[in-house]
Amino acid sequence: MNNTLLSVCIALLFAIGTFMILRRDMIKVVIGITVLSHATNLLIVSTGAFLGGRAPIITSDDAGSPSGIIFTDDLASGILAPVIPEGTEMVFVDPLVQALTLTAIVISLAITAFLLILCYRIYQEHGTTDVSEIRRLKG
Amino acid sequence: MDLFTAITLAVFLPFIMAGILPAAEKVLKNRIGWYATATAFLSLLLVALAVPSVVNGENVQGSVAWLPSLGIEMSFYGDGLSIMFGLIVSGIGILIMAYSNEYMSKREDLSRYYRQLLMFMGSMLGMVFSSNIIQLFIFWELTSITSFMLIGYWRNRPMSVYGATKSLLITASGGIFMLAGFLVLNIITGTFDIATVLQNESMIETIKGHEFFLFALVLILIGAAAKSAQGPFYIWLPNAMEAPTPVSAFLHSATMVKAGIYLVARIHPIFSGTDAWFILVSGLGIITMLAAGFLAFRQTDIKGILAYSTISQLAYMMAMYGYTTYQYPGIGVAAATFHLLNHATFKACLFLVAGIVAHETATRDITKMGGLRKDMPVTFIIGSIAALAMAGVPPLNGFLSKEMFYESSLEMGHLLGGPLEYLIPAAAVLGGVFTFAYSIRFIDGIFLGKRRSEHLPKHMHEPSLIMLVPPAFLAVLVILIGLFPSVAVHYIIEPAAAGILLQEVHLHVSLWHGFTTALMMTIITFIAGIALYTKYDTIAAWQDRMNARYPWFSINYAYDRIVNGAPGKSAAFAAVMQPGPVKPYLVALLLLFLVLGAIPAMLVATTLVPADLNFNVPPYEGILLGLIVLAALGTAILRKYLHAVIAVSAVGYLISLVFIYLQAPDLAMTQILVETLFTIIFLLVILKIPQTFRENLTRSVLARDLLISSAVGITVLVLLLNATQGIASPFESISYYFIENSVPLARGHNMVNVILVDFRGYDTLGEIVVLCLAGLGVYNLIKSRSDSK
Repeated sequence: MNNTLLSVCIALLFAIGTFMILRRDMIKVVIGITVLSHATNLLIVSTGAFLGGRAPIITSDDAGSPSGIIFTDDLASGILAPVIPEGTEMVFVDPLVQALTLTAIVISLAITAFLLILCYRIYQEHGTTDVSEIRRLKG
Repeated sequence: MDLFTAITLAVFLPFIMAGILPAAEKVLKNRIGWYATATAFLSLLLVALAVPSVVNGENVQGSVAWLPSLGIEMSFYGDGLSIMFGLIVSGIGILIMAYSNEYMSKREDLSRYYRQLLMFMGSMLGMVFSSNIIQLFIFWELTSITSFMLIGYWRNRPMSVYGATKSLLITASGGIFMLAGFLVLNIITGTFDIATVLQNESMIETIKGHEFFLFALVLILIGAAAKSAQGPFYIWLPNAMEAPTPVSAFLHSATMVKAGIYLVARIHPIFSGTDAWFILVSGLGIITMLAAGFLAFRQTDIKGILAYSTISQLAYMMAMYGYTTYQYPGIGVAAATFHLLNHATFKACLFLVAGIVAHETATRDITKMGGLRKDMPVTFIIGSIAALAMAGVPPLNGFLSKEMFYESSLEMGHLLGGPLEYLIPAAAVLGGVFTFAYSIRFIDGIFLGKRRSEHLPKHMHEPSLIMLVPPAFLAVLVILIGLFPSVAVHYIIEPAAAGILLQEVHLHVSLWHGFTTALMMTIITFIAGIALYTKYDTIAAWQDRMNARYPWFSINYAYDRIVNGAPGKSAAFAAVMQPGPVKPYLVALLLLFLVLGAIPAMLVATTLVPADLNFNVPPYEGILLGLIVLAALGTAILRKYLHAVIAVSAVGYLISLVFIYLQAPDLAMTQILVETLFTIIFLLVILKIPQTFRENLTRSVLARDLLISSAVGITVLVLLLNATQGIASPFESISYYFIENSVPLARGHNMVNVILVDFRGYDTLGEIVVLCLAGLGVYNLIKSRSDSK
């Protein structure tokens, strides 16, 4: 359903991010983590999207059209919710993955900020951003 | 008050009182011991309330829901067996706490001591009254932990730390085996409730016929043996003698070491009547009885002698509980239960006497003692009564249960036939002979003979009444149970045995019952015991010589090798597994991702690359994606921080455009805002960090990293291509719920917003907490610098 180009792009971002976190320079590693989190966000959102799907915002046109989806379990008659009746068409792209990603974007900001300050403090203490050098200085 | 409440209160009262003990200590100061004594007394009364109903065959039962989703409830079950243990634990508890008032110096940390004693008593009571086996396990491990704290009470003595660690390692790891056994039992029966199993005959039959029967039995027995110092696990008990003597009297004679015996008795109805039960339980018991009895000879520490004697006495009970055949599942049950009660009385008494002696002579070495009968005649009489009871001399209670031990051994041997008909009674007599010898040693070595004054203080005298009354009380019990066994038998032993055999039990115990074979065996025991005692020192010397010549021939040697070797071994292991630099960990993680992600994907996907690839995209999309890749490459290639940061924020802004055509306007907006903030923070930080370091990529490093990253990229690509090709999901998506309900339930038209602030509001709260924590972390990191300056 998705275009292949997007998948290739995501995969390339993963590869580049991986390459970056293997570096010895702390700042580069943080940049790599950022690239990786971009790639992951894109991946998750792209799984919910499909061709012709609408943004998950309900307009007045959609109001009052029951879809017939069953949401409560009825184990006695063997119904495990949700049950989607035949012919129900997906109108909107998946809102859930978007909500997840929104949270992820904000949290990755917090983590990146923290990492950066950590790098800054390490540089202050040790005078270098080389991971292996810092390890040697520790002892 | 109904009986269930009484039992529950009896269990939790010691914990509650331990909790408020520090406050009470402020008022009571040095008399805090009496507070603990009163607590034990209250618990005893509460347990005793249940005695009349249990004697009439009505068990106490009840439960309170605890973790209903897992089928775990807090439930208590009081039958004869539990009540007997409850009486022993709280009853001996009273004496121990009273005795401690004098024994423990006022300079000691009394608050800690009594708190731990009370918590131990509560755990022990909780253990014996637990009906739910998970709850039983929790209390079981609590007794291990409190015992660890009590043994290691003198924290600055290396030997007491060693003993405490040893006991914890052995009993607690035994407990893990036991838990595994319980879980197997749960797989078979589907319940965690012991009372349910005991009251359901068909369930017991199912267990006995189940293929996991032996598995469950062995696991549970390992736990019981570790706790009761049976078989190879005995080694912790002698070292536990480093504990203050009242603790030894309480934990290591009367209560904690009997937990394993209790467990064996508790599961007796479920497992007995099978060959496996007899071989494992009786086999373990008989071997331990003989080995520990023999090893007691070379002990010179008076508490050491008592420790080995406890091991061998517990082994008597194991052996007797193990006597079983299909027709007669509980041959030795009544005898074992009776011996259990008797042992609690005379052994606790012996420990208390040993405490008095050590207190007065300032040593525990029996070779330095002798002739103390003149200095402390009352202690001498009390100690002799208890030791003779252990030796099995009439008319004391030990004689009665020893006779019953011989009788049940004879019966078991007779039922089995063959050589075992003679071997089992012979082993029993040999065990009795050893017991007789070390019991006499205890009296003779301490009290009789000549006084070796060069080692002893000049003025020794009887202790005060506070220390004398508890052992005296026990000695009186020893005599009374011996002379009038019917009272104890009716009110305690018969209900307890009924709780094990699940039917009414009537016993006739009397001092004189004619010239039976058992009596002959007792007489043989006495004669052989006296004969053996004349060779006592020779045997002890031989044992010492063997020990010096073959030091590796001992379980302690193996234990020390393992425990002392552990730090070195784990350091070597850590050196391999955790070399230090971050890179190897990352490589390991990525490889794990490749293995765990790629292999299942290969298995599921029919082809690596699906046939119908969709390259048909509008040109602006293609350009956008191309720019993203270009910018990302820039982050990797550009050397300067500033350039790389600009490249990475370019990636972020471009992605927000992609979000727009993926129909995610909220994300696009958030991404733009976040990206702006991110760029500012990044620039601020690199302003402060001048770029001094340049990594020189050697060819091999570059090749390896490129290999790893392209492997990751390819795996992601394959996963993605196949995922979007519709590997059928096993469940319907829950997204429909949000789509359908965001207007009717939340009155919101933007579904993403509704999910974040309404349906999953708590998740957003969590997100805010993460932001706050990160902010606090950043603040503190910066502040820590300015503080140190």
